[in-house]
Amino acid sequence: MSGQGQLAASAAVKPEAGGYTQAPAGAREIGNVLIRDLNHRFGSSVHAAADVNLSFAPGEFVSIVGPSGCGKTTVLNLLAGLMPVQEGTISIFGSPPKAGRHDVAYMLARDCLFPWLTAAQNAEFGARIRHADRHKSQERARHLLEAVGLKGFEENYPKALSHGMRQRVALARTFCLDSPLLLMDEPFGALDAQTKMQLEDVLLSLWMKERRTVVFITHDLAEAITLSDRVVVMSARPGRIIADIRIELPRPRSVTDLQKDPEYHKIYAKVWEKLEVGLQS
Amino acid sequence: MTDAAENRNFALYETLVINAARLVFLAVFFAAWEYIARNRIVNPLFIGIPTEIAKFLWIGLFVEFSLIKDLYWTLGSTFLAFVIGSVAGIITGLMFITWPWFERFSDPLFSALNALPRIALAPLFLLWFGLGIWSKVALGASLTYFIVLSSAVAGIRSTNADHLTLSRTLGASKGQIFARVTLPSAVPTIFSGLRLGLIYALLGVIGGEIIAAQHGLGQLLSFLAGSFQISGVFAVLFILAILGTALIALMNSLEKWLLRWQ
Repeated sequence: MSGQGQLAASAAVKPEAGGYTQAPAGAREIGNVLIRDLNHRFGSSVHAAADVNLSFAPGEFVSIVGPSGCGKTTVLNLLAGLMPVQEGTISIFGSPPKAGRHDVAYMLARDCLFPWLTAAQNAEFGARIRHADRHKSQERARHLLEAVGLKGFEENYPKALSHGMRQRVALARTFCLDSPLLLMDEPFGALDAQTKMQLEDVLLSLWMKERRTVVFITHDLAEAITLSDRVVVMSARPGRIIADIRIELPRPRSVTDLQKDPEYHKIYAKVWEKLEVGLQS
Repeated sequence: MTDAAENRNFALYETLVINAARLVFLAVFFAAWEYIARNRIVNPLFIGIPTEIAKFLWIGLFVEFSLIKDLYWTLGSTFLAFVIGSVAGIITGLMFITWPWFERFSDPLFSALNALPRIALAPLFLLWFGLGIWSKVALGASLTYFIVLSSAVAGIRSTNADHLTLSRTLGASKGQIFARVTLPSAVPTIFSGLRLGLIYALLGVIGGEIIAAQHGLGQLLSFLAGSFQISGVFAVLFILAILGTALIALMNSLEKWLLRWQ
């Protein structure tokens, strides 16, 4: 993974003409996801993202935290190609973002399951839409449902599943896709504390097996530190990046064990300080 | 015995009691009716006589089959009216969604047509489509059409925005979104429109037959009432009530199966 080493450098690089299209830089950035000088405004008064520069290395788990309304979801939606980029450049594996590209998987805050499909059908929905082999995606969906702890619930409709279980199905659906980049928009935001910790464990175990690039949006600092290799802190509107902190906790991590880990709490205090500064500025 | 089994037994017992009570009530009701009519407390010319009604039903259904033939005409027309009206309604609904300008353009026209009491079109339909079944089909379909149209539009509009966003990020084609997301989410709303549409198709057909027809239960009803055969009128009304109930039950069980995920 050559991407990991040049991370700091690429984050600081300013785009010259064309940004990601430059041949020498482009060749090395093929596996990377880059955001350069991104600005986004809603109307004339709301400045949602200001001068955002970020780089995500292959296999890296990065969380973006910030107060609500800071523009973190805007950044994610721009990465997903759900809105056009107004100012600046975004490069995903060497090409601009576009909704529906197969190397990107997007997970919403709400479980977004289809009520007329069973858990198994929901889990394989994305793969089927992307014309994956029917037999293979069925197999994979079953396997993933087992991995997220829903063995025996494959034929249940969402109405018969709890909130947490539905979000587990949504996780299975996201991981059922082959995409090397996963974009997650506060997927556990609506869950209670216990369920949230269980699902963080499930997410970590799924991610550890394949090490895809994850961009994870959350307003929960503890969650960000628990899951990530890096935590990016954004300020209140206009959303600027005020800190980009590497989390040096060893992997594999256990969510429950971390609660008692003094190192974890030290990191938490450090990141919280940054976030506090961001809230005041 | 487990609690569940005990509960089931109790429910079964309750059902039996309720059904028995219903039978007793009906028996008393018809006996009183018979008594009142036979003793001319109320003139049977207005209320008929239950035994005569039963005789009429028996002969019409099992001896001369005349009621069966009329039932067949009415059901056939209703079915055609329902199919034509709902298919046209759903297609128009899809056109409204696909081309919003078309909906805006035709809205006043559709509102006016929908507000028009459709039965008033019957003379025109008779002139255009003749005394046969097609004038009745046209009347029934014109009622079904607007009901299904508005439910189709409402159903398609009710698609969850999150589902559409998810489909977009998955790269779903327009056809995939329609078949796998929009249509299934519209089914519950469309179906409630279809159920109502079926009842209205029956209403339109019976109405048309009463006005002018050669066959059908509506025509029979109008003939019997015109010749003061009130027991026959009641017999036809019984058949219509049972027919309506059966159609609703059919739609309900179809809906239950289609919407088993709800």
